[in-house]
Amino acid sequence: MISAPLVGPKIRDRRRALGITQTGLSAELGISASYLNLIEAGKRNIGGSLLKRIAEALGLAVDELDGAAERRLLGNLAELAAEPLLAGLRLDPGAAADLAGRHPAWARALVTLHRAWLERGRAVNALTDRLHQDPFLADAVHDLLTRAAAIRSSAEILEGADGLAADPQRRFVSIVGSESRRLADVAQALAGFFDSARTGTRPGSPADEVEDFLFDHGNYFPALEQAGASVDGPLAAELEASPLLTSDAARRGARGALERYLAAAMLMPYEAFLGAARRLRYDVDALALEFGADLEQVCHRLVTLRRPGSEGIAFGLMRADASGFTSSRAPLPRLPLPRHGGACPLWAVYQAQHSPGAIVRQLAEFPDGERFLFVARLLEKRAPAFPMPRRLVSLMLACDALVADQTVYGEGLDLASAARATPVGANCRVCVRTECAYRQEDPVVGA
Amino acid sequence: MTRVLIAEDDQNIVAALSFVLGRDGFEVSVALDGDEALRALRAAAPDVMVLDLMLPKRNGFEVLKLVKADPALGALPVVVLTAKGQPQDRRLAEQIGADAFMTKPFSNTDVVEAVRRLARR
Repeated sequence: MISAPLVGPKIRDRRRALGITQTGLSAELGISASYLNLIEAGKRNIGGSLLKRIAEALGLAVDELDGAAERRLLGNLAELAAEPLLAGLRLDPGAAADLAGRHPAWARALVTLHRAWLERGRAVNALTDRLHQDPFLADAVHDLLTRAAAIRSSAEILEGADGLAADPQRRFVSIVGSESRRLADVAQALAGFFDSARTGTRPGSPADEVEDFLFDHGNYFPALEQAGASVDGPLAAELEASPLLTSDAARRGARGALERYLAAAMLMPYEAFLGAARRLRYDVDALALEFGADLEQVCHRLVTLRRPGSEGIAFGLMRADASGFTSSRAPLPRLPLPRHGGACPLWAVYQAQHSPGAIVRQLAEFPDGERFLFVARLLEKRAPAFPMPRRLVSLMLACDALVADQTVYGEGLDLASAARATPVGANCRVCVRTECAYRQEDPVVGA
Repeated sequence: MTRVLIAEDDQNIVAALSFVLGRDGFEVSVALDGDEALRALRAAAPDVMVLDLMLPKRNGFEVLKLVKADPALGALPVVVLTAKGQPQDRRLAEQIGADAFMTKPFSNTDVVEAVRRLARR
């Protein structure tokens, strides 16, 4: 049943715009004019076939009429109002409906700005992460200093020795020339790195590009959810044409990811899996047992439950090895995950490495007040031959604390209690918890 | 004649350091990776070693640690060269036993002066 205050005025406005009288529309619908009047005045809730008939009579789709867009807008405004940054303004949640109703364009403008602001925050995190962790930068700086050392040493020899013999003179002039050219190449590569980082066009490694491609699709590919689906055809053409995939390695990686997606979709069909996930309250062990899948397949499948109108809980995912290297990630819009490791050492994904086999759950609270449920477990990948060490990876699912009570992992966790939350950060460089005993370096961006 | 082993993988830096040390009267030998440096040290210990930290096969930290732990080589003075100029790298090198620490791009004069000082010790 649809909330009348949202739908009624919309029916009236549309009817008037079409020049239809209340009597005329009510006759067409087979209801009394007085009942239509109550509906339009927002005093009667409607749904089902009547809503469908009204939509048809007014030449609208049901979802245009049933207030879904308004509800999304209200949800977005509620999200905006919940920003800890705005806590001091004591925004009245009731006024959001008024704003959305009277000035929808202004409301959408606020939501657009809010999203852009969140995106900038993520970009700052990503760039900071890249500046400190990017292997390209580390190599380039090392190369640059090595080239500079060779030039400086050779130049000192050339400028300090009047009686230098012709052979060594030629040799060191040649070194200065060749090293200068190599230095220029390194400097140009560095300049290109910063240029593309500034415009956001450098995605990083092929693996990063694949992740960006998946994230750009909301981790959901409807074409792979149908019976008889294939990675060939339109999807293969999209892989070739996508501007996010800039190398053959990235395109191969994306194709591999889609093939794994397809295999998971066949093993765990969408509707059946979503139904089981809700029934089993997202218990990954129970889901693995029910579908004959392994835990990692189940966790990845949970991330893909993003079909519009039939969505599961929005999960983020992160996989890290013992070195802290992040080998797989699916971020959430409000939870940036590091590309190159170096997240907060307090995160459950790292804590799980001390507890083989155990499920580590954590209510993680970020400095801005955002709270997430983290659930992590250490898994053993295919065992290598003795005497090579075991290959262990830690896998973590994350969801907003607001929906954690829909999962088995939220049970018994007092989600309202601040005292039960673990104070964490994204990583030390962007964390303002200066008193944290786990801090490894000073923050570099805005406290 | 005082013997110096340069353990450095960049040929042009090796050429420049070999030239200035040779011109200053040192007998110079060269190792282009960490393993080669250890073999050279054990075959004929020099009087001073100039050691790059970023060496192929076995990095300079490991070479330094093995040298300082070896009773026959432990007293060998070592000048560390590196593009890793972070304070923690310097602290680590000094803790392991580096006698001098130079960051790239270094001055030839400083390297020769450090080698000369350590050779007299």
